Amino acid sequence: MLLLPLLLAIEFGESDPDLVRRLQRRDPRAMAELYDRYGRLVYALILRVVRDGGIAEDLVQETFLRVWNRVQGFDAERGGLGPWLLAVARNRAIDYLRSAAGRMRNSVELPETEHPALFCDMEKELLNSDRVRRVRVALEKLSQNHRAVIELAYFEGLSQAEMAEKMGEPLGTVKTWVRTALKSLRDELGTAVSA
Amino acid sequence: MNCDELRDHYELYTLGFADDPELSEIRAHLERACPTCVPGVRGARELITLIGAAAASVEPPARLRKRVLASVGGQTASRWNWSPVWAAVAVAALVAAAVFDIRAHRASSELTQASAELAQVQAESAAQTRALARLNQAFAILNQPNVKQVIFGGGAPQPPRGRIFLDPARGVLLLASNLPPAPAGKTYEMWVIPKATGSQPVPAGLFQSASDGTAIHVLPGPVDVAGAAAIAVTIERAAGATVPNLPPVFAAGL
Repeated sequence: MLLLPLLLAIEFGESDPDLVRRLQRRDPRAMAELYDRYGRLVYALILRVVRDGGIAEDLVQETFLRVWNRVQGFDAERGGLGPWLLAVARNRAIDYLRSAAGRMRNSVELPETEHPALFCDMEKELLNSDRVRRVRVALEKLSQNHRAVIELAYFEGLSQAEMAEKMGEPLGTVKTWVRTALKSLRDELGTAVSA
Repeated sequence: MNCDELRDHYELYTLGFADDPELSEIRAHLERACPTCVPGVRGARELITLIGAAAASVEPPARLRKRVLASVGGQTASRWNWSPVWAAVAVAALVAAAVFDIRAHRASSELTQASAELAQVQAESAAQTRALARLNQAFAILNQPNVKQVIFGGGAPQPPRGRIFLDPARGVLLLASNLPPAPAGKTYEMWVIPKATGSQPVPAGLFQSASDGTAIHVLPGPVDVAGAAAIAVTIERAAGATVPNLPPVFAAGL
């Protein structure tokens, strides 16, 4: 039953560019549409990073507010709204982790605005539960160390040097694991990503 | 370097792990809209984004939708009311929302940020004490039932935005965003602007914004809310000033 709203959003919802234009016109109903489309993804991502429901709620609100405040500069024809929203969400959550741990800002941050053409329109990919399930399966297929470096990089925002310190492994080893893990994911999901 | 040599570095670049010379080469290829590297990096970004989307699916609390929409002045009607289950959830959310002040929610978000900042200076006990005192003062102001609230910054392209809470007995609380760090050697200073003609602006304390543009400042103690026309913020030298340096960064009429 929970998938039905997502399927409806995919099949009958507006395209991202239309939604962006309504957000740029400051239409609050567009924000409702945006939340209904991506709220669950954003909440799940942030909760995975901060592991605290109350903090996740605060950061979800900050994420949507940030998008609302910055959407005027977003080129709807050149970039996808969903990937941008997730990048903002992930960076807000990582920022929180850094602040809470007193870490310096030398960790991995996904760019939010550079090269907007790279924020491809992948609305259906993000909302397609089968596609997401394949990603989960691909992650589970990775070896323990390979999966660990991907998760430390993405969900904790650690640099490779920080990962090496945390895992007690040489930096060169961690770099090899990262490269191998990413190649494995690319090989496993190549068709899924580009479909 | 040619595109084939860069192919294995697209995901590393997207994750921020690419080193030179590949990093510089990929940037150069992207800058010239390389027909191979642009789609290549786009595919890498898809892959990385899907990792984020693969986080375990969790249903957010129903109240969160109302809270997000309320923060932008939107309607809060639920789209899930076709289901009795969701209708029950919506009713529960509305009941919860009725007893939970949205204003306090937003302030709590800002104060969470302040708490995170506090963690960064745990080694400095004096600074920690001051920050804790500031939070206590902020909560004391927010908890007053008749606190006056003013929203500022709406309308302009990229203005400092935020809210000011005033309580005659407890003082003034400023919550701001989009406020870039003050230039080196400078600080922000808050002022209470009196209504009375000829009266001088009253200094209301110095503060700095965080690196993400947010700021929390408290002027503790009694304040003449009825006699105040506005709250303003200026940029002053680090030691502060007794007369405001005009024009203000922003001013909020009361």
